[in-house]
Amino acid sequence: MNKLLLILFALLVTSCANESDPEADKANFVRIYDSNRYNTSYNPIDMKQTADGGYLFLASRRLDESNFQGIYIMKVDEFGAFVTEELVDEQYVNPVGELLFLNDTYYFFCMTAVGLQTQLVEVGNDGTLGNIYNVGGSYPTAAAIDGSNFILLGYDNTAKESVVAIVSPNGNVIQATGFSVGAGDAVEEPIINHFLRTGRQFPFQVGRAASGQYFFNGFYNYTFSLVFTDLAGSLAVVQGQQDDGGISRVVQVNGSTFASARFNFGDNYFLPNVSLNTSGISSSSDLGGFSLPELVDNAPVHILVSRINEKEVILYASNTKSGQIGLYAYELSTGKFLGSKYLGFSNPYEINSMINTSDEGLAIGATTYVTGRFPRITLFKLSTEELSQIF
Amino acid sequence: MKRLLLWFTVLAFTSTSFAQSQRKPPAGFKRKANEKQNSFLDKQWWIGLKVGPNLTKASPETRYSILTPTNYALPLTDKKYDGFSKIGSQATLEITFNYKGIGISFQPTYRLSRFTYTNEFMWDNPENAIEMLELKYDHELKIDYADLPLIIKYDFAGNTLKPYVQAGIFYSMLINANKTVDITGTDFASGGTNVLSSEPVIVGAKDLFHKSYWGIMAGTGLHYNLGNVRLVLDMSYRIGMSNITNTKNRFSNDRLSGIGDAMDDMKTDNVVISIGCLFPMRFLSTSFKSIDR
Repeated sequence: MNKLLLILFALLVTSCANESDPEADKANFVRIYDSNRYNTSYNPIDMKQTADGGYLFLASRRLDESNFQGIYIMKVDEFGAFVTEELVDEQYVNPVGELLFLNDTYYFFCMTAVGLQTQLVEVGNDGTLGNIYNVGGSYPTAAAIDGSNFILLGYDNTAKESVVAIVSPNGNVIQATGFSVGAGDAVEEPIINHFLRTGRQFPFQVGRAASGQYFFNGFYNYTFSLVFTDLAGSLAVVQGQQDDGGISRVVQVNGSTFASARFNFGDNYFLPNVSLNTSGISSSSDLGGFSLPELVDNAPVHILVSRINEKEVILYASNTKSGQIGLYAYELSTGKFLGSKYLGFSNPYEINSMINTSDEGLAIGATTYVTGRFPRITLFKLSTEELSQIF
Repeated sequence: MKRLLLWFTVLAFTSTSFAQSQRKPPAGFKRKANEKQNSFLDKQWWIGLKVGPNLTKASPETRYSILTPTNYALPLTDKKYDGFSKIGSQATLEITFNYKGIGISFQPTYRLSRFTYTNEFMWDNPENAIEMLELKYDHELKIDYADLPLIIKYDFAGNTLKPYVQAGIFYSMLINANKTVDITGTDFASGGTNVLSSEPVIVGAKDLFHKSYWGIMAGTGLHYNLGNVRLVLDMSYRIGMSNITNTKNRFSNDRLSGIGDAMDDMKTDNVVISIGCLFPMRFLSTSFKSIDR
């Protein structure tokens, strides 16, 4: 009888066992990084998971004395707890993603507030600022890793060219090729407004395809276009509609198959499995795609190849008109829709970055407007279990 | 089979009636019978209903916050809990077996517990005093539990009024939970003192709580014997021994995440007061006051 009571008691206690679980706390959380200063605003640009399991944010911050955005770097630990921040000197402005990880160091491009010269900045795993190299050129817009170097897309406002440059980790320009955006001030206006944040934010992107071709998503020949190039004269262009249509984001799946998204006069389309012409002229408006009327006009889109439920998937993330972040999953091989989830409520949220994490989960960097007015960095961490339930 | 059952029922009924019918006992039998009856009446089953209010205090163990400060102290985001401030209610079915003043009692209970906590935040600009916003979030939680307590009771000597003490353990199963958040504040930056108030955010919060918890309890009470029934005033203090928050779903509610709220790990204590009426299950007749024996 005593044994029976003991067993019953043990069962009761174990069924109620619900103590703090550090692994669960790491796997699943939401954090909003708040400053109690009324007049500060932070907008994350990119985020990477560091070797210690924490997260490193590159963000822009509002400067009172400049038309450009200042630079803010923040390190948080694996639980999302704040570790350190770096308010980079105001002589450096306009930080550009991605945060590039090379030789155990993070890098990003920015420019000087006076002179508008492009700079390459080193950041340690702990979020501390390292060397700053003068790259030259102006108005950096996007960057990516190219082997042991970086690819940089910039805008040369003197030559009125989109410039693709190969830059070494110490800031030397190895190669640079310009692509004319067209003559006249009209074509330049939306580009400058992008930098000043007084106009639309364009989805500039640069990278290198598996075929060895470089590509950039930027202004070329009066149009916001996706351009494939060998940097030596050969060109293939997926043309947009001046600055009203074009590609929002592109990720190569294999060969000429891409996961992409496009915008057209405010409308947004996802193309999780699309064949792009990488050797001729085509138009983005002919690509079709799944229409997503719930997204904001000309929405920023992030695309990530991930693995959920033992299945290769393409994840799309974008901003909805209801102020949430929409997550959409498609099968990588077929483009078949798998499911969706919406993050955020009450205050508006905007997507800035999306990465796979070391625990096979997902981390999403976003901006939220605390109390509807203060832009602050937000980190959503979704566990692999949660993703499995959604998709 | 049904017929056999019917026969047994009839037989049992008639034999009981026969046994309790008035018969003249043989000489010398009365004392023996009284002793037997006393021994018989040492045991009693009681069944009845109790209702009453309860008060809840939540004690945070590990604190969590979605709003993570970068330039002010983390403890400023801590929630302030109000202990025993909101009245809940409960209804209990009591089943007690009593033997010589010691009872073992099973008291399944439907309990609504309420508790509150607040967060306060302020944003300002030292260089411009009018740029200031103060916000206060008042959270109220209403949680329904099915309690399954097992209690040992000891009745002190007494006749009509019998005090008792009790102690036991309980297992509580979550039935439902709701959360209401009232957001109020003052905005000084809009050109004046702008008092902010909005409709409360009401969300289903069942997923935020663990499906069960357990605890220990102790208390005291009074029995008042009134004829064949027993009126009871019962008071107990319940100490939750396990975390009531669902650690896996802490951040799952987007509406609450949106306003910066995540549940702390916490245990709850309750003060439970009940009044009720218990009925003896043996010798329930108008001519026999079993409770007085």
